[in-house]
Amino acid sequence: MSRITNIIKLREFRTFIFLILLFVVVGFINSDYLSLQNIDKSLKSSLLYIVLAVGMTFVLLTGNLDISVGGTLGLSAAVSGTILRDGGSVFTAAIAAILIGVVIGLINGFGVIKLKISSFIMTLAILSITRVVQVIYTDGKWVENIPANIKELSNIDIFGINVLTFIVIVGVVFVQVYLSKSRKGRYYNAIGDNVDGAISLGIPVNRYIAYSFVISGICASLAGLIFVSQIGFVSTNAGAGIELTVIAACVLGGVSLVGGIGTVVGAALGAIILTSINSALVYMKVPAFWNDTISGSLLIIIVVVDALLAFNTNKKAKKLRLNARVLQKEA
Amino acid sequence: MLNKIPKWNLTLFILIISEIIVFGMINPRFWNVTILLNSFNDFISVAIIGFFVTMVVITGGIDISGVSIIGLTSVVTGLLSQVVGINIWVSILCAILIGGLCGLLNGVLIAYGRVQAMVITLGGMLLYSGIAIVLVGLSDVSTYEGISGFPEGFSQIANGEVMGIPNSVILFIVMFFIAYILLHRTRFGRYIYLTGINQNTAEYSGINTKKIIAATYFLSGLSAGIAGVVLTSYLGSARSDYGAEYLMPILTVVVLGGTLITGGKGGVIGTALASIILGFMQIGLQMAGVSTQYIGLATGVLLIVSVAFLGINPDFRFNVRRIFTQKQNIGG
Repeated sequence: MSRITNIIKLREFRTFIFLILLFVVVGFINSDYLSLQNIDKSLKSSLLYIVLAVGMTFVLLTGNLDISVGGTLGLSAAVSGTILRDGGSVFTAAIAAILIGVVIGLINGFGVIKLKISSFIMTLAILSITRVVQVIYTDGKWVENIPANIKELSNIDIFGINVLTFIVIVGVVFVQVYLSKSRKGRYYNAIGDNVDGAISLGIPVNRYIAYSFVISGICASLAGLIFVSQIGFVSTNAGAGIELTVIAACVLGGVSLVGGIGTVVGAALGAIILTSINSALVYMKVPAFWNDTISGSLLIIIVVVDALLAFNTNKKAKKLRLNARVLQKEA
Repeated sequence: MLNKIPKWNLTLFILIISEIIVFGMINPRFWNVTILLNSFNDFISVAIIGFFVTMVVITGGIDISGVSIIGLTSVVTGLLSQVVGINIWVSILCAILIGGLCGLLNGVLIAYGRVQAMVITLGGMLLYSGIAIVLVGLSDVSTYEGISGFPEGFSQIANGEVMGIPNSVILFIVMFFIAYILLHRTRFGRYIYLTGINQNTAEYSGINTKKIIAATYFLSGLSAGIAGVVLTSYLGSARSDYGAEYLMPILTVVVLGGTLITGGKGGVIGTALASIILGFMQIGLQMAGVSTQYIGLATGVLLIVSVAFLGINPDFRFNVRRIFTQKQNIGG
């Protein structure tokens, strides 16, 4: 029983309830929204954001921020897109994309650890640099004519379940288990929660911060591969502004920007919510220009309510502790 | 006298001079004073917002919603004056006030709701640009062409000149002085610094830090509103996507100006000098024949180098001093 109450208290559970409420409410207005086909489609379109949010969660957990994911996504999508267009194999394209992610992650990590630049500034600068590098690489042109069999890769179904969706969901679960159960996975939370404490415990803080940036870079480049296979072409501004959506998704899912709090599952749920809202608006026949207004106000409302809830529970806990101390004295 | 000027500002000033010399050697047209003064039009919006975002950053926060407040005020100005038919000056005032209100909403939520500034202004950024798009969508105006047909007097705000000096330069100087006096010459300004250095200490010494923080966001919103009006006047039509690409330049200007992103240290003079550096660099690179697409590379590198230099500097100086004092001890 206590296990159930524990689950209900979880922040991710509240996010999940919100997601279900969203589907039920929109389903009442237009029952097509609840069809399996649409749920499958919503999941498929949120894959990109889920992968990015997983990487971002690692960085956020250590108390840093990675704005450069949009640039990494665009650059790796452009490079792997050209390789595929010129007849290269999927394997080479994937290796090239991941290498790009690793390199950008290392650069970010170097700036944050060695040059002691605030991660926000460092990754923002890298974002604008990678955008220019992408333009130079593609000569300002779109990468088009990617073979059709690459596009089919994202649409393979086994037993009616999309393979890519399945892989991503399994990946999220694995990462979640790694982060919450393994010894080294806990390091990320520890660093974000209390850096000095982590150093005292003997955690190699700098190395793990670098790891987090590299992981985020790899996730962004994997998202770039998904982008190529789902969309089929790479424009010069592919993934522009995506970094802010991803951060918003993480925050919606209960990942704290201060660090130390949050889970990958929550971030993935947040990503699904953000993409579901877009399709929900279509099903509710609301014009598309309401998109930003609704996701923006939703983000603000959820975050403020969350902060107030957290503040109140803290106050209650403090009061309880003080009362307990007084009682002890009397006894 | 020279000692009183902070070293970083002096470095920035030297950077401006060297920029003028280098770009002038590449393309002598750069030495034309009229062209230089007119180039202020291209970065005035960034500078205006930068001045007041500097204050926000000094309190330890950050404001990224200004970029979409530009679009919102632009659309509001256009709609009120062209579609609703209100007097242009009244609608400008309304638009700027709406910008201020957006900032105030950010500030109240951040100061009194105890939410991370980054998250709230991120939500605000989505929300305000969303409202601008909704306003455009509801009023049957072409999204791409925007609302045009403003009276001549309105376009004079940015394009006119007084005694040979472009209005944008005058506006730059006026906004700079307002920000300078607020931050460096009033009690309010001192409170901003104290809040940024240590909010708890400031609170205990009787400063209403929440009010101070909310006020800085309000000012930042107002300045974004002014920037939106100026940009609309300069470009001659009102669109919702103005300012979308200004996030990077605004933060570059603030950080390059020597303001610590963690708060408590910085100033408006640095921001002003940095915005001139950035503006001249853009125009200089364009004149040197570099495509506009590549300018992001230069600003990005500039940002990293300047912050790395600022960050390493104190450690470096400390080490140097330690070596020297040790030597003295041995010698004595």
